[in-house]
Amino acid sequence: MDDKSVLIVGGGIDGVREALEKATGGEQVTIVEKFPTLGAERIPRDRLIKPGDAFVNPDLDAVRHNDRIRILTYSDIKQVKKDNGKIRARILKHSLRVDNTKCNDCKACIKVCPVNMFDDFDEGFTFRTAVDYFNPATGEYNIFKEDQPVCQRSCPVNLDIRTYVGQIADGKYLDSLATIRDRLPLPGSIGRVCPHPCETACNRQYLDEPISICFLKRFVADIELDKGIEPVYQTPEKKLPEKIAIIGAGPAGLTCAYHLARKGYRHVTIHEALSVPGGYLWVGIPEYRLPKELLKREVDLIAGMGIDIRYNSRVGRDISFDDLRKDNDAVFIGAGCHRGLKLRVPGEDEYEGKGIVDCVTFLREQALGKPFDVKGKLIVIGGGNAAIDSARVGWRMGFDEVYILYRRTKKEMPANPWEIDAAEHEGVILQYLAAPVEILGRNGRVSGMKCIKMELGEPDASGRRRPVPIQGSEYVIDAQTIVPAISQGTDLDFLGKDHGLAVNRWNTFDIDEETAATNVPGVFAGGDVVTGPDIAIRAVAAGKKAADGIHTYLRSK
Amino acid sequence: MCTGRIDPALVAEAFRKGLDGLLVVGCYFGDCHYITGNHQAKAKLDMTRRLLKHIGMNEDRLAFRQCSSGEGSVFVDIVTEFDTKLRSLGPLGGEGDRVRAPELFKKLEAAQAVLASEKMRWVIGKRTPFLESGNMYGEIFTEHEFNRAIDMIIVEEMEVQEILARLSQGSQSIKALAGDLAIPSERVFRYITALKRKGMVALDKIAGRSPMFQLVPQEV
Repeated sequence: MDDKSVLIVGGGIDGVREALEKATGGEQVTIVEKFPTLGAERIPRDRLIKPGDAFVNPDLDAVRHNDRIRILTYSDIKQVKKDNGKIRARILKHSLRVDNTKCNDCKACIKVCPVNMFDDFDEGFTFRTAVDYFNPATGEYNIFKEDQPVCQRSCPVNLDIRTYVGQIADGKYLDSLATIRDRLPLPGSIGRVCPHPCETACNRQYLDEPISICFLKRFVADIELDKGIEPVYQTPEKKLPEKIAIIGAGPAGLTCAYHLARKGYRHVTIHEALSVPGGYLWVGIPEYRLPKELLKREVDLIAGMGIDIRYNSRVGRDISFDDLRKDNDAVFIGAGCHRGLKLRVPGEDEYEGKGIVDCVTFLREQALGKPFDVKGKLIVIGGGNAAIDSARVGWRMGFDEVYILYRRTKKEMPANPWEIDAAEHEGVILQYLAAPVEILGRNGRVSGMKCIKMELGEPDASGRRRPVPIQGSEYVIDAQTIVPAISQGTDLDFLGKDHGLAVNRWNTFDIDEETAATNVPGVFAGGDVVTGPDIAIRAVAAGKKAADGIHTYLRSK
Repeated sequence: MCTGRIDPALVAEAFRKGLDGLLVVGCYFGDCHYITGNHQAKAKLDMTRRLLKHIGMNEDRLAFRQCSSGEGSVFVDIVTEFDTKLRSLGPLGGEGDRVRAPELFKKLEAAQAVLASEKMRWVIGKRTPFLESGNMYGEIFTEHEFNRAIDMIIVEEMEVQEILARLSQGSQSIKALAGDLAIPSERVFRYITALKRKGMVALDKIAGRSPMFQLVPQEV
């Protein structure tokens, strides 16, 4: 290509004219048009029959025969990136869904096509059929096909939701479960805890309310449980010899192992620091939201594919990261975010462990059944799901009073609204527009907290109104236990000093978005350790992406 | 004759001529001499039942039952059951149906045209491959999805056939059609433009401010 090239998006009349102008000026031109035809040509069939009658833009002929102009019809721009002073665009060219070499132009398809849809050519003013878009230049037909449904597109793993919900409607429950397991190995667990971005996007909500996509997943998983069917996850006959180590048996690690086993890898080892599988699903999500027994069963099914899950094997303590890299052909890091962030207020460090427990430790110790000194009042600070979980767990442990302190209002809380309602219903007291200032103690133990009242100011970068402290409004509340649940961060100490992996300022890994590969060949990462604290289904998606990336990497080695 | 050969248009015609009920008794699934004849019959009759229900007839007047030629007593049971049902419903277009006699027969006429049209035949013929082996691109549909599509096609085709029936009596404006058929005029407009694109309807003349549309004779 010449040093100067132009990309024109949209091949309408203006786009065509512009392309001609640029090409005449000596530049290389590429036209990208989303319809299969150029220059807004779409003439009703009955008008094309008489040649003189047809309206054809004279520029079009010139465009088609110009050497400097490259025409990409029926294409979409997927990504535009700056690259060394140039602009680089990724373009997806769709293929036509009619084999036009076999088409003999009998027009029967147009007459019988049963799909009447709003015509996007005239902004939905009229109906058209799905098989349409006669292209006057080439004589081509095409069947219009929508992209993925909105639910599937909004799901991080792109579950085939339309099919599995349809199969449930047909009563084919086990087929539906098989459809889900094609991409998601933990249907029962995710079906209970997912905050379902799919339902938020569901088109049905504009009519009445969204389809309960998430609970339908749980429903089919429970049917299998109810009927006592023990499924076996199949692995292919042909086995692949490479060894792969996975750090962390959380949703990302388990999914990665599952998809690798399905590709035929037989030496997949998961190193799990704790004595239990599931990562946050086990030690973060309380029993009342996700029964441990059920999670254990789903993990056992994955382990049944020949995956070696080594518990109590903390990388960096029981085995070094360098050894893992030496002994294996590929390593996947799915270690998660298991360190609660600090409040950064006076008194916090002083009483660490003496009444101040971060939410990660708090929830983990409860999940593992460790004893805890339950007395008096519990204050949870934060407004996310971890905060609500901590508060509801605390309520079940038997604290006299449980408070949640949040610096904005209920409307801005990032936790799922149904969880907030459930917590309120149970008796957790929510205090909005308050922030901690100082942790107070007596005799070496926490005795209370000094707070300040807030008010909402201008919207900040996240679109939520920024809380501003009201001067002189400090007050003190008594508390025996304080659980900060303000966010979680990664703990990358297990890697050792000279790991050479690119770590950004959030202390997470920089990975290739397509393959999940880090900058070190053979090392892949995904899940919370890349994204920061995030929802489980996104970790599942990262695990699947990494499995594909590892497969490509090992097969091309 | 194989039950698979029963044309839905004949079913509609039978009802239009005053039949009160129609019982189709075919072989058991798996016993078919032609392998899939009874599956075809069930698909066609299910679809016909949906259409008949849509136009306001009691869909129980059409039934598909299965028994083998050796099971005399089963056959007797089936016929007795159907007979009792039919007696409770009374004559066609009476108490047992949502839409009453004169309108129902007019609707049945349009229903016969719908069932005889290429579109319905093609769609229902694709049912088995779509549900089992998928379309040309290997996309398999669920029964629920297919039935939903069928329901939509039934509604649209009924309206289109009613429009075409009106137009066969002479050219009409969209406003007049909408008033006659009690369909919103923007829907009629969309149907007319779609039919125009398919070459089935054309502009006749403009009377006052309203364009009048007429039928284009189709080659068969």
